[in-house]
Amino acid sequence: MIEVVNVWKSYRSGIRWVEALRGINCRIERGRFAFIVGPSGSGKSTLLYLLGALDQPSNGEILVNGQNLVTMSEAMQNLYRREQVGFIFQSFNLISNLSALENVLVPFLPRGITADQRARAGELLKQVGLEDRLDHHPYQLSGGEQQRVAIARALIKQPLLVLADEPTGELDSKTGDEIYKILRSMQHTYQTTLVIVTHDRRFITPDDLVLEIQDGQVALESGAIADGSSWPNGSKAEGSAGSNGEDSPGRGVSLKAGE
Amino acid sequence: MGVFAWRNLLTRPLRTVLALIGLSVPILGVMGLFSVSNGLRDLVGETLSQIEGVMIIRENVPSPVFSTLPASLADDLRRLPGVRAVAPEVWGIAPNIEGRGMLVRGLLSKKGMGSVFDQPLISGQDIAAHMNLNSAVFPRALKEKGEGRFLTLEDIGKPNIVISRKLARDFADPQGNPRKLGDSLRIADKNYTIVGLYETGSLLLDVVIVMDIETARSVLNFAKDSISSIYVEAKNPGGYDALSATIEKANPGVDARSMNEVKANFGSLMGQVDKLLMMTVSLALIVGIVGIINTMLMSTTERFVEFGVLRTNGWSEANILTLVTLESAFLGLLAGIVGCVLALIGTTIANQFISGGVHLGINPSLLGMGISLSVIMGTLGGLYPAWRAARLVPMEAIRIGSH
Repeated sequence: MIEVVNVWKSYRSGIRWVEALRGINCRIERGRFAFIVGPSGSGKSTLLYLLGALDQPSNGEILVNGQNLVTMSEAMQNLYRREQVGFIFQSFNLISNLSALENVLVPFLPRGITADQRARAGELLKQVGLEDRLDHHPYQLSGGEQQRVAIARALIKQPLLVLADEPTGELDSKTGDEIYKILRSMQHTYQTTLVIVTHDRRFITPDDLVLEIQDGQVALESGAIADGSSWPNGSKAEGSAGSNGEDSPGRGVSLKAGE
Repeated sequence: MGVFAWRNLLTRPLRTVLALIGLSVPILGVMGLFSVSNGLRDLVGETLSQIEGVMIIRENVPSPVFSTLPASLADDLRRLPGVRAVAPEVWGIAPNIEGRGMLVRGLLSKKGMGSVFDQPLISGQDIAAHMNLNSAVFPRALKEKGEGRFLTLEDIGKPNIVISRKLARDFADPQGNPRKLGDSLRIADKNYTIVGLYETGSLLLDVVIVMDIETARSVLNFAKDSISSIYVEAKNPGGYDALSATIEKANPGVDARSMNEVKANFGSLMGQVDKLLMMTVSLALIVGIVGIINTMLMSTTERFVEFGVLRTNGWSEANILTLVTLESAFLGLLAGIVGCVLALIGTTIANQFISGGVHLGINPSLLGMGISLSVIMGTLGGLYPAWRAARLVPMEAIRIGSH
C-alpha cells in the first residue's frame, strides 16, 4: 500500500521557487491500477517521481509497504529502485547502444547478469510480443515496440510498484491501446500496483483509481464506479469532458482535496 | 559494465577519434622524447661497454681532448701497486682533412644531430705501450669487423693511420668511393696512409683517427713532454674503482675515471635530462587531461537522461561514477596504444635517417610507461565529469535532459 501524507515539494526554477506539491494526501491500495491526472504543471509527474524515490519531498511522508521513503538512506533508495519499482517513461528512454534484451537487463548490469535473469528477460519480451526482436537496438524498433521493451524492463525485477509517466504520450491511439492492454495484462498476471500519469483519459476504466491533481493538491479522487456511466468509452460522461481525452476536473465520486 | 562502457565509446565514434587524437599526441611526444633519451643511453652504454680500463685526465675537464698532463706521469703510474699496463695518449680535434676544416665539416654535414658527435678526433698512441694492453678498443674492433692491420712498432714515427669505415665513407675519394686500405688521407698539409679500417658501431668511437703518438704531437702541435691522457689497466679486473681512488690519492690534480664511474656520472646526467623532459612533457599531458575533461563533460551532459534512467533502475552514484570513469580510462588506454604505435612507426622511420650509431629506442618498459600514463590521464580526466554525472538527482537528470 502507498500512503502519501501531507507532502510538499518546492524547487527552484531560475530565480523563483515553484511550489509543485502543496500538502498532498492520498492512498493507493496494493494491486490497484491508479491514474494521476491533471493539467500541465499541476504536479503529477513530481508526485510520481517522489513515489519512485527519485527525489525527496520538502515536507511530509511517503510510505510504500510500510517503508518511509523520506527517511531512507541513499543506499536503501537505490535498492528500492532496483528491486521494488519499475519505471516507464513517455519517451521510452531505452539505452541506444544496447539491444532490446540488454535494455531489459539494465537494472542488473552493475552486478553482472545471470543466466536466469537473461532467460527471464527473454520470457518477458516474448510476453509483450517481441520474441523476434531480442537483438534489435532501439533505432530498429517502432515507438510501440520500444515502449514494450520499457515495460519489460520495468517488470524484470518483479516490482511491487510500476510508475508510468505518460506511457502512450508519443504513440498513436492504436498502439496506445495495445500498450494499455499489455499493462493491464501484466498487472493482472503479476499483481503489481500501477500508477500512471496521463493526460489521456480514454484508457481509464471504472475499476481504476483516479487522482486528479490541481495546483499541487488532490482536487478529486475517484475509486471504483459501479455502473461506469461517467467514464469515457462508456455511454456518456457526467459533467466531464473526459471523452475527448482532455483533462478536466469534476469527475469522480469523492473529494479529498487539501486534506 | 566494462562492455557497456566500451560500447558507449564506440557509439560516438567521431568524438572518440577526436579525443584519441588529442590525447595520443602528448603520449607520442613523451615516447619520442624518451626514445631520444634511450638512444643516447644505449649509445653511451654501448661505447663504455667496449672500454674496461681507467682513463686518467686532468681534473675538471670533460674529455681527453681538453686535457694536458705531464708525460712523466705515466712512469709514476707504472710504479703503483695493482697496475698492469699504462698507455699514454695524445688527443685532439682533427685539423683540416682533405681541405675541410671543422667549421666547414659541420656546415656541410647533412646528418642532423649526428653532426654534433661526429667531428673527427685524432688519437696519438704510444704504440709499444698500447700493444701491451688487453682491452684496447680499436685493435679489437679492427680484428672483429675491420680490415687491414693495427699500428705496430714499425709505424712509430711514420705517417700511417688507422681510421673507421665511417670516416672512410665521410671522406671519400674524389670519385665518391670510400677510402680503402693503402689510400692516403690528407690531414693538415700532409698525406697519411691508411693501413687499417676498424668499426666499433659506436658513434662516439667511430670518429677517431689513430696514429703514432709522435706523429699526433706533430699534427696537433702538442708539446713533446705532454700527453692528454693515460689508459691504465689493472691487474685485477674487478679492482678498477679501487685503482681509481689510489691514483687520485697519489696524484692530486688528476681525475682517474673508471668506466663504472663514467657510467654512473652519465646515468646521473641522463636522470637530470629525463626530469627536464618530464617537466616539458607534463605540460602536454595537462593539455591532454583538459581535452579529456572537455570531451567527457560534453559526453555526460548529452547523456543526462541516460544517467537518470539508469538511476531510476537502481544504479547508485558509485555505479555511474564507475561507468563514466571506465569510459575515460578506456579512452586513455586507446590513446596510449595509438600513441605508442605512432611512436614505434615514427622512431623506425627516424632511425633510417639518423646516422652514426644513435638509435632511437622504444623498449617494452617505455611502451608500458606510455600506456600506463595515458590510462592514468584518461582516468584523472574522467573523474570530474563522472562525479558531476553521478551527483545528478535522477528526476532532475531526466527533466534537464528532456528539455
